[in-house]
Amino acid sequence: MPSVCFYFEVHQPMRLKRFSVFSIGSETTPDDIYFDNELNRNIFYRISKKCYLPTNKMLRELINKYKGRFKVSYSLTGTFVEMCEKYNLQVLDSFVKLRETNCVGFLNETYYHSLSSLYDNLNEFETQIKMHRNMMKEKFDYTPTVFRNTEAIYDNRTAKRMEEMGYKGIITEGTERILSWRSPNYLYNPVNSDIKILLRNYPLSDDIGFRFSAKGWPEHPLTADKFAAWVSQSPGDIINIFIDYETFGEHQWSDTGIFDFLRHLPGELLKYSNIDFVTPDEAVKRYNPVGKIDVPFAVSWADTDRNVSTWLGNGMQVNCFNELKSLEEPLIKKGDSHLLHVWRLLQSSDHLYYVSTKGMADGDVHKYFNPFKSPYEGFINYMNIIQDLKQRVDKGRKK
Amino acid sequence: MALKVAMIGWEYPPYKVGGLGTHCYWLTRNLADMGVSIDFYMPKTDGIRSDKKNLVFRGIGEEVFPYETVKLTGDFFEKVNRYNELCAKIHGNYDLIHCHDWLTARAGIMLKKKLGIPMILTVHSTEYDRSGWLNPNQWFIDIEKEGMENADIIIAVSHYTCRVLMEKYGIPKEKIRVIHNAITSIGERGRKLKIVLFMGRLTIQKGAEFFIRVAKKVLEIEDCFFVVAGTGNILPELVDLAVSLGISNRIMFTGELTDEELHHIYRISQVYVLPSVSEPFGITVLEALSAGTPVIVSKSAGVSEILESCLRVDFWDVDEMANKIVALLRYKQLRKEIVKHGKEEIKFFTWMRNARKTLDVYKEVV
Repeated sequence: MPSVCFYFEVHQPMRLKRFSVFSIGSETTPDDIYFDNELNRNIFYRISKKCYLPTNKMLRELINKYKGRFKVSYSLTGTFVEMCEKYNLQVLDSFVKLRETNCVGFLNETYYHSLSSLYDNLNEFETQIKMHRNMMKEKFDYTPTVFRNTEAIYDNRTAKRMEEMGYKGIITEGTERILSWRSPNYLYNPVNSDIKILLRNYPLSDDIGFRFSAKGWPEHPLTADKFAAWVSQSPGDIINIFIDYETFGEHQWSDTGIFDFLRHLPGELLKYSNIDFVTPDEAVKRYNPVGKIDVPFAVSWADTDRNVSTWLGNGMQVNCFNELKSLEEPLIKKGDSHLLHVWRLLQSSDHLYYVSTKGMADGDVHKYFNPFKSPYEGFINYMNIIQDLKQRVDKGRKK
Repeated sequence: MALKVAMIGWEYPPYKVGGLGTHCYWLTRNLADMGVSIDFYMPKTDGIRSDKKNLVFRGIGEEVFPYETVKLTGDFFEKVNRYNELCAKIHGNYDLIHCHDWLTARAGIMLKKKLGIPMILTVHSTEYDRSGWLNPNQWFIDIEKEGMENADIIIAVSHYTCRVLMEKYGIPKEKIRVIHNAITSIGERGRKLKIVLFMGRLTIQKGAEFFIRVAKKVLEIEDCFFVVAGTGNILPELVDLAVSLGISNRIMFTGELTDEELHHIYRISQVYVLPSVSEPFGITVLEALSAGTPVIVSKSAGVSEILESCLRVDFWDVDEMANKIVALLRYKQLRKEIVKHGKEEIKFFTWMRNARKTLDVYKEVV
């Protein structure tokens, strides 16, 4: 009988202000000139109203209704939780209330939703995971046993390190690139360690995340009973439905019927006697791996390429990534905790996402999310800020 | 049956003052290759050789010979008038007339009435563009409007121009077809220097004043050279401005350049700026990209509506323009990406495509 594992990614980056080359070297504190407080607040309010608050409320009602039979899980980034505290405590409260139902699981990830797993050494990566672990303990009294890297970026090295850090499971994309003919509906091991891998079932996940309101899709409109039937007919141990939380009410607006779909989905799924719900923590306890997976190169769940080209696909992105990465050593040495935090906020993968020059279908998705008019403008802004930060780091060193 | 077109021209290489001559050159050659038979009328044809049977040059009114001067004096207008009158006497078995801008619009109108055949008018620029929207001359506007109203179909070089025709001349949208200009690639050669380039007529329209002001701002934090290529009526004011801003040692005014010199300056420049106040298309932007030079384009330029690989600015926003110039000078990867994608994009702007779309318009009216 397949278990269904619902997991939602909840993340917001600290969006950047317009920062001209002429601002480089100013004396103002970085918080005020790097980050666009007003924009961040407005976006956070909007999404709270359209997505976080109504969806949390509905899920809590559903969890109560099905008395322990319906479960969901989340990964909340550190920047998201900071924004809750800064802009809307009500949102944080509603997540804590969900936690208290004991039918909600949580994952660990990097605090800043960063690409630090791709750095030359994994020190920064580990630091950010520990920060996230502490935050989860402090705010939610929860200690996850499963790790999900930024945008499900995954390779052998990361898997091995996660096992060393004590994790029982790790999540990535169920792409044919690593599975070949095999099914994503089972657990696997990496070739180099014993940690268990949970794989996202991308056809079923994208049916909700991307295709739900696509009128040209033959299955439109997607109803809860239709989706439940597909799930019940899927062979395997576990169906992992991993999507952006903002799918509910933000990417798919309320008038697409997404909330009606969500309201009826648990009931429709539970009509099938062979289906139950699990959290990732429960899944790695209950199921055993059926094979090994070898991933020497990084994969992810982003775009149609399912690799890291979304963030490192062109020279401008690599340029920014390298510049930012090179600040690690001098910043750690300097020990300025404020600058360190700023540097880490700049590591959120979103900033590189805005510099992507991908065309075709992916390009449209990128445009939807991009606050800049073009990747070139995104690059100029981000690079100017990195150059300013670099000067601040250097300043202390000379003294 | 092959179409027979009377195209009323004004300039054609080697008799060339501006972009119109280049446009007619490539358009007629490509149309001829597609089987259209063209009689190309212009004041003087000595030295123009045609290697195509169906492309014939007909000199009319050698007395006019307008190519010695570009100054818009009373004498010049007299010549334009006289040429149009002479063109009205044309006889022949044509399917349609094709004329360009106000220069030959009146000949088109007269011929249309006389021969009873359709007339196509291509609008390369309007009086609003040329005046930079400051005190446009009603005399030109009236001729342009009359030409547009009499034309069966108007070809505009951009959606930007299309909007001007609708809003300022009251032309219905159904009568306008947008056909973007094309280019011939210049190609990269040699090493690039730290040069920021402006190229165009030195008139209010082209926004050269903003280029001088942005130079001042950039030079405050970046060491580089600025080149102003071209000539025009505001040249003295621009030189004065550069001197009074104390940057005359960093700005070079080249005056009129030959094609070869133009290509050279495109190739050695690191940044190309088109700060136009009003620009129907802006073909220089595509030429710069073809020479491997990244571009900053005024939002008031037709080309900015179709080109993705560029940095867009408001022509009056000197601070933002300076930010983008410095970014291009400092960040090599930015230059590389824009040029890489730009070269892909400009592949679509071929004369073949331009001619094919023009032929579609011909077929509509015949």
